[in-house]
Amino acid sequence: MTATTQTQGRAPSPMLTFLKQPLVVALILIVALLLLGETLSPGFASAQQILRLLIVAALLGIVAAGQNLVILGGREGIDLSVGGVISLSAIIAGNVMNGADSAIVPAVLACMAAGAFIGLINGMGVTLLRIPPLVMTLGMLGVLQGLLVVVRNGIPSGFAAPGLSRFVTQPFLLGLPGIIWLWVAIGLLMAFMLTRTVYGHRIYAIGSNEQAAYMAGVPVRAMRISLFMLSGVFAAITGICLLGYSGSSFANVGEQYMLASIIAVVFGGTPLSGGKGGYTGTMAGALLLVILQGILTTVHIDESGRQMVFGATLLLLMLFYGRGRAMRG
Amino acid sequence: MSKLIMRGVSKAYGATLALRRGDLTVEAGEVHVLIGSNGSGKSTLCKVLAGSVRPDGGEILIDGKPVTITGPHAAREHGIGIFYQELSLAGHRTVAENICLPDMPGGIFVDRKALEIRAARYIALFETVAGEGFSAEAVVENLRADQRQLVEIMKALATEAPITIFDEPTSALDRAQVDRFFDILRGLKADGRSIIFISHRMDEIFAIGDRVTVIRDGETVGTENIADTNPAAVIRLMVGGQDELAAGASAPPAAATDRKAAVLKAENFSGKGFANVSFEVAKGEILGFGGLHGQGQSAVLRAIFGANLAAGGTITLGGSAFTPSNPRTAIRRGLAYVSGDRSRDGIIQGRPIIENATPIHYLRQKLQLARPAALAARVKPALEALHTKFGGLSHPINSLSGGNQQKIVIARWLIDRPDVLLLDDPTKGIDLSAKADLFSLIRKLAEEGMGIVLYSSEDAELLNNADRILVFNGGSVRRELTGADRTRYNLYQAAYEAA
Repeated sequence: MTATTQTQGRAPSPMLTFLKQPLVVALILIVALLLLGETLSPGFASAQQILRLLIVAALLGIVAAGQNLVILGGREGIDLSVGGVISLSAIIAGNVMNGADSAIVPAVLACMAAGAFIGLINGMGVTLLRIPPLVMTLGMLGVLQGLLVVVRNGIPSGFAAPGLSRFVTQPFLLGLPGIIWLWVAIGLLMAFMLTRTVYGHRIYAIGSNEQAAYMAGVPVRAMRISLFMLSGVFAAITGICLLGYSGSSFANVGEQYMLASIIAVVFGGTPLSGGKGGYTGTMAGALLLVILQGILTTVHIDESGRQMVFGATLLLLMLFYGRGRAMRG
Repeated sequence: MSKLIMRGVSKAYGATLALRRGDLTVEAGEVHVLIGSNGSGKSTLCKVLAGSVRPDGGEILIDGKPVTITGPHAAREHGIGIFYQELSLAGHRTVAENICLPDMPGGIFVDRKALEIRAARYIALFETVAGEGFSAEAVVENLRADQRQLVEIMKALATEAPITIFDEPTSALDRAQVDRFFDILRGLKADGRSIIFISHRMDEIFAIGDRVTVIRDGETVGTENIADTNPAAVIRLMVGGQDELAAGASAPPAAATDRKAAVLKAENFSGKGFANVSFEVAKGEILGFGGLHGQGQSAVLRAIFGANLAAGGTITLGGSAFTPSNPRTAIRRGLAYVSGDRSRDGIIQGRPIIENATPIHYLRQKLQLARPAALAARVKPALEALHTKFGGLSHPINSLSGGNQQKIVIARWLIDRPDVLLLDDPTKGIDLSAKADLFSLIRKLAEEGMGIVLYSSEDAELLNNADRILVFNGGSVRRELTGADRTRYNLYQAAYEAA
């Protein structure tokens, strides 16, 4: 190595082109899948259906934002408890508002507080007790599932306020419901945070080289705890919206989101090892998964079959990105 | 006929010539000491012999026959065994298993009985000095440091190789263990075995050695009979003609510093790897930490910065007490630390240059927003001060050479100037021009009033740049060199003195 060794000034950095690649792939796949759906079942790609797919994608995309942050933070960061948080949040929201528009605000605050608290416990377990995130959040998922059975005993109770249902399902602006605008706003906020704030740069720093970040004065533990808290809050928001989407809550409504949120993140170009990637890709990943799910439903594959397809998709993605991950390590 | 002859062995790592001309002749039945300063090439010479490094040139003769050592396995077949300085034990396995590791008895399945009998022979050698809890069945990771080192020695002995290399085998041993080990070496000598012995302790070298070969700057400069020489003569041989280089024209005059304005003061500072270290750094002064590798220099710097735990003593920063707890608080108090291990402690892989240059600025200025234009205006002058070569601030740091990467890590401290800069072997693995840029900057920073502590494993860097040098030996300061005393001879003498 000599002082003169340096790469020539290509306009986009090699990393950027790498990030772009999965995004481009995802967008092409989205169009291809829509066309496939339309051939299998005419009307699949109708405006109304696409709107419905967008709503479902927003539900997934919001929880995936939190998952994305935890994974970006590195050190095997992953949040398997999001499904439990979503279910819990839907139940809290349903019971607090119980059909009354006036109770929407307290319900939302209660759910976000619950999500943040669960994230706090996850984060403290991971940082202070040094429990691997996989184990910590899986344990938390178990606790939450148990809690739901005890509290609810499997019987649905509580239902959405009409205002919340309108927010999720009825057109609000330019023919799109509020939840889509919320998702867009989250997307913009995430992009701003990750590229233009100190907090965002520190997420990448701890995800890329925790030791170096620590030596440069980054509060690594507090950062990691805050990421898990954000993940809890985002999952709670999805839980509330899910209540608005389905009208009433039932146990384990959030179950399917654990795997799906991880796939959306990985498909969007954020490797499970963290430190690189971003949310734009994750949004495309969420959209893609939802369309895939829609196609599977139209060809009459039930929930268990869909979960199998999702699991296989994740494994395929790991295989696909395996080379890049190995180079990082 | 000599047992082993190495002639003109050379080895380069990239552009760095680690070994220029290594010569070594070892007779049967002798303990041959190999000595040289940090980075002189003695380790490389041993690695060539042990087969872990392939030489670029030169020849090796064993029993008069030229041999090519292609790998560690080939080395063993040529009758060469080695004790590694870095412990190479399997922590979860027992003492007996570790001793027999290089050559397990039995075929596919280990013959436990044979293994125990073989191991017992070597364990018995140290039975009286090994201490509590040492047995064939003991699991290695539960042993004390000295006991682990004994296992390492037994492992080397168990190879029963005609030529055995011991690279600093006594660093963790107590007096009785060293005496026992030397008795065993004398026994091996009497059996006609050849021992290559690397040590930094003059007393040990003169207690056990028959002959000594000195290596300096990758070249063998002489071999002496121990009986015909003395420690001072050996050090003079290690220094060679390089003394002029240190105290000559290029050496800085001790900066005119106001000793009352101590920016950093340590009193009886102790922690893992160092004890009772006291020193002061004045405003505008470059204080050097010298001595052999790993004598506590780096540990002291890391402990002041809060990256390692300190056990006792006091630190005063700019006149008020400071308790190191973590790098964050240290940075806020105006401390800076640059590690030589930049891939571990310094660079944030895969991220843009600008993000690698700004973390300290973020913290010192309590920033929340990262405005690229405002940051670039801060970062560019810092990078220019070090003559950093880079394509664009948004390029990933990985696109740069090692020297330029290190410059960016250093530049992050130049945006908001610290009061004290701790440099922990900062030039490790960087090119000569980057080193020159770095040292001219350091001098300039000192002139502008910064207090600087410089630890360097390259003695020339230290002698040429430090106003004062504290020589570390065995975790404490052995000697302070000031003014005309800052010579290589004095540095080596303090570094190689018996701890």
